[in-house]
Amino acid sequence: MINGQKNSVGRRALLGGAAGVLAMPWVARAQANPIKIGIQSIFSGPIALLGASSKGAIQIEIDRINATGGLLGRQIQPIYRDTKGQPQEAARIARELINTDGCEILLDAEASSASFAVQEVVRDLGVLCVHSNSETSSLTADPKLRVATCFRSARQGVHDAIVGGAHSAKIAEAKKLTRWATTSPDYSFGRDTTAQFLEFLKHFKPDIEVASQAWPKMGQPDFTEVITKILQAKPQALYTTLFAGDLSAFVNQGNVYALFGQMQVFCPAMGDLPVLTAIKNLPTGIQCASRYLPTFPDTPPNQAFYENYRKVNNNDYPTNWSWESATGMRFIEAAVKKANSTDGKKAAEAMSGLTIDSIFSTTGKVTMRAEDHTMVDYAIGWGTSVPAAPYVTGVQPGDWGQIRELEAEWKKNNAYV
Amino acid sequence: MLRPSLARDIVLGILVIAILALIPALVPSKAFQDFVIRVAAMALFATSLNLLVGYTGLTSFGHGMFYGLGTYSFALLMQKTSLSLPMAFLLTLLITAATATVVGAICIRLRLIYFAFVTLAMQMLLHSIIISWVGLTGGDQGLQGGIPRRVVAGFDLGNQHTLYLASGVVLVIGLIAMRHVVASTFGTSLRMIRDNEARAAFLGIVVWRVKLAVFVLSAMFAAVGGVVTSLFVSGAYPELINWPISGDAIFAIVLGGIGSFLGPLVGTIMLTVLNDVVTRTTEYYGLALGIIILVFALGLRRGVVDFVTERLGFRPSGGVS
Amino acid sequence: MDLAALAECVTSSSCLVTQTTSGLIVGMLLFLVAAGLTLIFGVLKIVNFAHGTFYMLGAYLAYSVFRVTDSYTLAVVAAGAGMGIFGIVFERALIARVYGANVLMQLLICYAVVLICDDLVKIVWGADFKAMGMPPEFQVPPLFVAGGVVPPFYILLITVALAIGGGLGLTLALTKIGKIVRAAAHNPNMVSALGINTTLLYSLVFATGAMLAGLAGGLAAPVRSLTPGMGFSILIESFIVTVIGGMGSIAGALIAAVVLGLIRSFGTIGFPMFTEGMMFLVMIIILVVKPSGLFGREIV
Repeated sequence: MINGQKNSVGRRALLGGAAGVLAMPWVARAQANPIKIGIQSIFSGPIALLGASSKGAIQIEIDRINATGGLLGRQIQPIYRDTKGQPQEAARIARELINTDGCEILLDAEASSASFAVQEVVRDLGVLCVHSNSETSSLTADPKLRVATCFRSARQGVHDAIVGGAHSAKIAEAKKLTRWATTSPDYSFGRDTTAQFLEFLKHFKPDIEVASQAWPKMGQPDFTEVITKILQAKPQALYTTLFAGDLSAFVNQGNVYALFGQMQVFCPAMGDLPVLTAIKNLPTGIQCASRYLPTFPDTPPNQAFYENYRKVNNNDYPTNWSWESATGMRFIEAAVKKANSTDGKKAAEAMSGLTIDSIFSTTGKVTMRAEDHTMVDYAIGWGTSVPAAPYVTGVQPGDWGQIRELEAEWKKNNAYV
Repeated sequence: MLRPSLARDIVLGILVIAILALIPALVPSKAFQDFVIRVAAMALFATSLNLLVGYTGLTSFGHGMFYGLGTYSFALLMQKTSLSLPMAFLLTLLITAATATVVGAICIRLRLIYFAFVTLAMQMLLHSIIISWVGLTGGDQGLQGGIPRRVVAGFDLGNQHTLYLASGVVLVIGLIAMRHVVASTFGTSLRMIRDNEARAAFLGIVVWRVKLAVFVLSAMFAAVGGVVTSLFVSGAYPELINWPISGDAIFAIVLGGIGSFLGPLVGTIMLTVLNDVVTRTTEYYGLALGIIILVFALGLRRGVVDFVTERLGFRPSGGVS
Repeated sequence: MDLAALAECVTSSSCLVTQTTSGLIVGMLLFLVAAGLTLIFGVLKIVNFAHGTFYMLGAYLAYSVFRVTDSYTLAVVAAGAGMGIFGIVFERALIARVYGANVLMQLLICYAVVLICDDLVKIVWGADFKAMGMPPEFQVPPLFVAGGVVPPFYILLITVALAIGGGLGLTLALTKIGKIVRAAAHNPNMVSALGINTTLLYSLVFATGAMLAGLAGGLAAPVRSLTPGMGFSILIESFIVTVIGGMGSIAGALIAAVVLGLIRSFGTIGFPMFTEGMMFLVMIIILVVKPSGLFGREIV
């Protein structure tokens, strides 16, 4: 009896497996009419919320395009796939989206390491690909890594470092902050961003002394030893690139030590709504960069985007990934229209140097720079935290003339040009 | 147990390769080719782990370190030196063997769960080193810029179809080689150690030497799997040497069956299919996979191949019963 | 490497006080989780790979109870009790089926439960991270002891963790049930032959272990970020603690957890790049030199 039961469970499970095999999409289907766009992102694991916020914004754009007759007269059919943020999965799924699912364009809404893996796939397959969430500068800045049909519609690390350096130097000058500490997650993005920030901070205010640097692990549950290490150094200012859940934990644990009353804190990853709303007892006076804020740029269209996003997406908050991905979709739309084709080469030519209207820019326009395929002129600024909505006030926009100038110099120093 | 005949295995192997070569003509699916490449890499890795777990009774939680070491050594040799692909491949095996000798010499002194933990700690240590050594490995970003010079004797392994066939060939050769390792007198020594270490020693087997030898050997086969993966993703990433990769191999062999030579292969195919189907249909990948694992683990209480062979009345061909 | 900074810290009383308490804080919560792990292993010979999940569920449970009742005490109690009950269900429904089976089968089942629970948490509480926030009664400025900083909330955490650990140790050492548990750890057949219901005993021990993890999760909830999958890093560190202290030894877990906490707190000053690698290195050295860990298996 028991044996029989076990057997039948086993058989059912085996049959289930067999059905799975049959359902495998190995047989390429004929090219249908809609334009298929492969959208890969992180929909599971600790930062699944970011992937979901990309998807939420992209879907709004696609619905808008489809409702107004589609692109080149064809409806857009998005195919969303979860890479779990793993490079090897990202590479496999990118190939599969193009080779098997017949996607003509990739919108790669990935974090850094996976976006590099996707870039290698696109190098081989030659479709149009927009990285909408990878901020690591070298992805597009380094000519050895650049790919002719790949673009970035995300903020770029070095832009943030320049604006952050300029803004922080101003505050440091006014408040006489010379003794600094830093704490950033111990991985390349955290290290690079911190180094770049300090480079530009010293460029604007040379008399900076870095008293202490701590490197916690990503996802580390307890930052106590980091906090006490910072307190030991008695700095006047602290710079931290901790983000998302780690930043929230850091602030909560820092509050226990009254950290935020003892120094001026600078936080480039703070200005994103899921972080701002999750932190209980958000201290006043933290300097935050805007990741995405409905009040920056403080315009009716941005506010409308915010409200519509929340209405459509189950009252969730849009994030930095949302506006970047929405912008990526808009660039794809404009480039395909201009090229009158979804062909990778033609659309890429159209996207190079393309300027489009954008509500996520203080000038109302963003440009996909031709020389290095990365977006410029997007809204980038710093403000001051307050405990309740709107959470960040007095946001000062960065100066894109200054960004361009210092970025060019930075590229020269890194032998990228 | 009957000793498998090399001739029969080779004929079978050629047959499998011939079928693999025919499939693209009938079903021109690139995803299927990717699937075979991934299965080849993982199955070599999982089967090599089973040399330790199923045949020697050494439960390693850190075997992924050699799979990862294979991807990193190979990718680095290709990027930083001007060696040809076959030379880089051979050197990768040498590097892995040398590392495995040192790691193994430390680990095999321990038994049971302690062996499992020390291998896991070794892998985490290696992972820490790779993450911190940014200058060489690219740290957490992985090794970028692709793998150059993928042409061997006129075959371009950068071409998907060629890589697909090459992976099939490597898998078949690797499996035949491992099958003959376990069928040899050396393999008999392994099973004797597994079943009763003291008795094996009494019968004149130098236990530590045999354990170290199989540890190094299985590490080298795992590295071959790593090389295939490295060619597939055109690089090397820290995820490929992190703990979950050892977990994947363990699940593959437990699902497939540690008592059967082909159990790890079957388990790998099952897990890969599950991964592909489930991630396609739901973002609740963990929930679906977890339930399926529970059904198999509690329903069968042993690997699928072990279950089937026992049902059909065969004794398991080698592993734990 | 910054050994000068380390030397400077060790010779300064403020740094010494602050980093030592900081190491104790990190260590004590780790101890609670690891104590459950080591207890379960000592008696049931089960390596509970799902232990981090109990910690996670405890934290989420505390989060929800705190939101409803505004009582931190209730939240922590609920986390402990909830995980105790969950532990019984988990042990009876799943683990009981694989006693004596290959450790890999246990690993497989625990892994499946980890996957399932991570996704269930995502479904129930959402994929984004949550913060419970500090209960108002602890929103007080930190104390200054010998120039070092010590927050009152952490004094409470250390005290409660020590009390729970001490209580557990005393129960095992002095009470009748403690003796039975210790006897079962050494020779389950003998205990069974004496007419003691080992099934019940095993459930009880497993529930206690799960409860400890749940308590740790609940206690830590005010200062940590709650995310699906948050149990993983805790699990890995608890394993290191358990192995270093000796699998099955409560006292060993306490010492090892504090050692690990101190490696972290002083490591971040002396060798910030290699604190994680250092933990694994210590674990390897201990395993090679004395596989049974600092305190072997003789206690529990």
